[in-house]
Amino acid sequence: MSNRPVYPFVAIVGQEKMKLALILNIINPTLSGVLIRGEKGTAKSTAVRSLANILPAIEVVKDCPFQLLPDSAPDVCEGCSRQECGCKSNPPGPVETVHRGIRVVELPVGATEDRVVGTMDLEEALKKGEKRFEPGLLAAAHRGILYVDEVNLLEDHVVDILLDSAAMGVNTVEREGVSFSHPARFTLVGTMNPEEGELRPQLLDRFGLCVHIEGINDPEDRVAIMERRAAFDEDPEGFCEQWNEDSKSLAEKIEKAIALYPQVHLDRALLYEIASYCLDVGVDGHRGDIIILKTAKTMAAYNGRTEALKEDVNAAAELALPHRIRRQPLQNIMLDVGELRRQKQMHPEASA
Amino acid sequence: MIMYNPVYPFSALIGQERLKRALILNAINPRIGGVLIRGEKGTAKSTAVRALGELLPEIRVVAGCPYSCDPDQPQSFCGQCRNRADGVQVRLRRIRVITLPLNATEDRVAGGIDFNLAVKTGLRSFQPGLLAKAHRGILYVDEVNLLDDHIVDIILDAAASGRNSVEREGVSSCHLSRFILVGTMNPEEGELRPQLLDRFGLCVEVVSEKDLEKRAALMHRREAYDRDPWGFIRRFQAENDNLTRQIVSARSSLKVVSFPDHLRRLVSEICTESNVAGHRADLVIEQAAKAAAALKGHPEVTVEDVQEVAPLALAHRKRETAPPPPPPKHEHNPERPPENPEGKQQEREEHEQPEQDQAHSEGPLETGEAPPSEGPGEAQGNSEERPQARGFDSADQFFDVGETFKVKKFASPKDRVFRRGSGRRSRTRVAQKQGRYVQSTINRNTGDVAFDATLRAAAPYQLKRKNGSGLAVILRPEDIREKIRERRIGNFVLFVVDASGSMGARGRMTASKGAIKSLLLDAYQKRDHVAMVSFRKDDAVLNLPPTASIELAAGLLKEMPVGGRTPLSAGLVKSYEVLRNYLVRDPTARPIVIFITDGKANVALGDKKPLEESLELAVRLAADERIRFIVVDTESQGLLHFGLACKLAGAMNAQYFKTEDLKADTLLNIAKENVS
Repeated sequence: MSNRPVYPFVAIVGQEKMKLALILNIINPTLSGVLIRGEKGTAKSTAVRSLANILPAIEVVKDCPFQLLPDSAPDVCEGCSRQECGCKSNPPGPVETVHRGIRVVELPVGATEDRVVGTMDLEEALKKGEKRFEPGLLAAAHRGILYVDEVNLLEDHVVDILLDSAAMGVNTVEREGVSFSHPARFTLVGTMNPEEGELRPQLLDRFGLCVHIEGINDPEDRVAIMERRAAFDEDPEGFCEQWNEDSKSLAEKIEKAIALYPQVHLDRALLYEIASYCLDVGVDGHRGDIIILKTAKTMAAYNGRTEALKEDVNAAAELALPHRIRRQPLQNIMLDVGELRRQKQMHPEASA
Repeated sequence: MIMYNPVYPFSALIGQERLKRALILNAINPRIGGVLIRGEKGTAKSTAVRALGELLPEIRVVAGCPYSCDPDQPQSFCGQCRNRADGVQVRLRRIRVITLPLNATEDRVAGGIDFNLAVKTGLRSFQPGLLAKAHRGILYVDEVNLLDDHIVDIILDAAASGRNSVEREGVSSCHLSRFILVGTMNPEEGELRPQLLDRFGLCVEVVSEKDLEKRAALMHRREAYDRDPWGFIRRFQAENDNLTRQIVSARSSLKVVSFPDHLRRLVSEICTESNVAGHRADLVIEQAAKAAAALKGHPEVTVEDVQEVAPLALAHRKRETAPPPPPPKHEHNPERPPENPEGKQQEREEHEQPEQDQAHSEGPLETGEAPPSEGPGEAQGNSEERPQARGFDSADQFFDVGETFKVKKFASPKDRVFRRGSGRRSRTRVAQKQGRYVQSTINRNTGDVAFDATLRAAAPYQLKRKNGSGLAVILRPEDIREKIRERRIGNFVLFVVDASGSMGARGRMTASKGAIKSLLLDAYQKRDHVAMVSFRKDDAVLNLPPTASIELAAGLLKEMPVGGRTPLSAGLVKSYEVLRNYLVRDPTARPIVIFITDGKANVALGDKKPLEESLELAVRLAADERIRFIVVDTESQGLLHFGLACKLAGAMNAQYFKTEDLKADTLLNIAKENVS
């Protein structure tokens, strides 16, 4: 997969909200993902796949199937069938680690349950007569991005499993004779076309941010899209080369923001602003509040500031609330959150 | 329970006092029987349960016993402990929270053959599953309403009897399994089975905090926790320890807390008042009140204790006070034959309804106006939109969507046909290699090999089969087991809506729309495909081709115009077309067709009388056994009604409901529905 060049993230025309939401999630993985809703052919999948170029590096044990840091989860290592790690030798030797980019793991719509959560290692069982766990996609996605294209078409029981581990940050497997659990914290990125049916509310809530994208109506931009795409198809390597500079500077900006994030401060008065925002528009639960807070801070870090401002909060609400606003049953998802708040503030009785 | 993840401390939770109280009471007195936490997303449901695991006190167990035997009760020892010649070693350990993941398969929940041991020694021995681990602890199911029915059955069985019996894969075992069942669920995703619901001792509804101050504090804490989880936990350690001490002392004083007799009467009065089913509520209240008293350090239960816990025990057991009225008889009035004389029918289609409706409302004599405009006193909410003349085109009306409610359960009966699809209305076996793997079988026809079961089947013979091939396990064809997969598929639900003028009268359409919307909500929870046909004037149209987008259907419903005559036959024919097309594409589908009509057909396709024709068509439509029919009669109850929809239902062998009968808001109702 790595030898085929992907369309550079920075060369995508328009769709600023989507790009921003993705970048924010890279800076702060605890934002727990983004749902991209929109019609077909709006660069949804392209954007997610192209993230690979700008993702920062993390340290992992070399070839570790669970993407762990050394000594972070001894009971996982104990149940792991991989023998090459230093911890398996006697006496335990040093564990070799590597720095590699965060991975984007794709969950295909037709994936079966055993491939997602993992299953019994058949080879191990036949050769040695021992039951071992063979990790699935959730293990591969730990500390990375789990990407589900057409997430609304995902099989129902696979969705249940995703909910389970997205909530816990742990994948617990009790099936087919194996009993195993390993950390599975991932950024969930999903794309969907709402015409094909809505997502279940519980899964919807697991996505930190939600953006709605539309086709671009500006003729100039549309021409730019065609030109760039044609140039990419003709000479992918050359095209990527051309954008290399921009990709690099974006990656650097992200690295800087990651370093800056812990120092970002948000004034206590703004906490009240966030809470009243959520109360005004009517949001189920508290996840919305927490996500707005984190998003606002991440946004400040991305812009190189150590102080989150009211604008950050407003912009964060636009990303964090559309899918959380309490809807009438069967009502469509709200698109303009700020507008709704103004309306509700003007007619408070209507919202009651 | 999970070592590599920090757990948000229990004492740092803000608000949700009832939830915290319910969990602590259960930690004090396991006989309460668990707690079900219902609530919207993002209200610290799961966080609270996981946090509880950190507070639980220690209990005495036999060291090394997989069943956590209690050393103080030798009479209930497991086989191993009984045979320990040198007496048992006692060990203290925390009460465990065992998580039952949604992906669990039967062999891990109940236990099965020990594969490793079987391969090495050829002995068949039992390897305990989650139910053994959960003995004397907490069995925690996140999103319990999504749990597979198959697994639910096993848990119900164990919860009811307090033991788990296994007879599978050549091993047989029976061990104690008494656990506190804790579940969380979001009711938007569908309800629990009533049987399982009743197993939970207490039930807490959680909602988000509305107080600005608390919301801000909550964000602040969460932020601090995310920045430095371990430091945050240390800050709350003292408070957590304090809580643990309280629980420990309450547990020890629980035995001496007495429950005065006069309170028993109070409890039974409370239960009778709330009209609860069964006696479990009484027992639960008593146990919970004892725990509450023990927590406060009182030697005797007081009225306050009972009042405090009663709402928790009754929340999920309450029934509506008045039982639903028996369905009225639908004999039609002899003075008013349903069929009008032929000639009159064709020219006076519009007049038919005013006559009937006036009969109901005893209003002024016929004025010649279009049907909905009579009965000015009837509240319809949008009188401005009434048509002024009897001209067909101006007679279109738009009605609001009426109130929604929970609808009764209906599903296609389970059978042995293999089919494809995804959803959760009807359970079915699936032939593709998809769906939940629920069981293994020795029959071979799908090529979907269940490796785990195959290996377990082969394991005991490995010592005899050793042949130096270097493999630890040698498989023979007779070992092969295949997977039985099962999943619920959404049905295809076709709504056939009567949008004629007669439906507009007396707020019927508003109520009907409410009913349709309720059915749509139900369809959403069951992941059905829906389509909608409406008929009015001279024609029936397919408003919505089969789709999974229920939102689309709801939007359409709002905009559906009403007015004109009632071409029931056309509606029947149209729905036949839709069904035929759908069944050609998916011959194993089991569509459900819901007619919403008063049955007063007055437009025919051919030369016959409209009503006769439509009944004939209905019989023919019902000839396909794959289709199930439901007729929702919208005719309002009054002095006079025709029962035509009932006739239609009879012709199609359909389930028949009045609009108001569709409601299923009592536990008893659902339960009865399941039994029958």
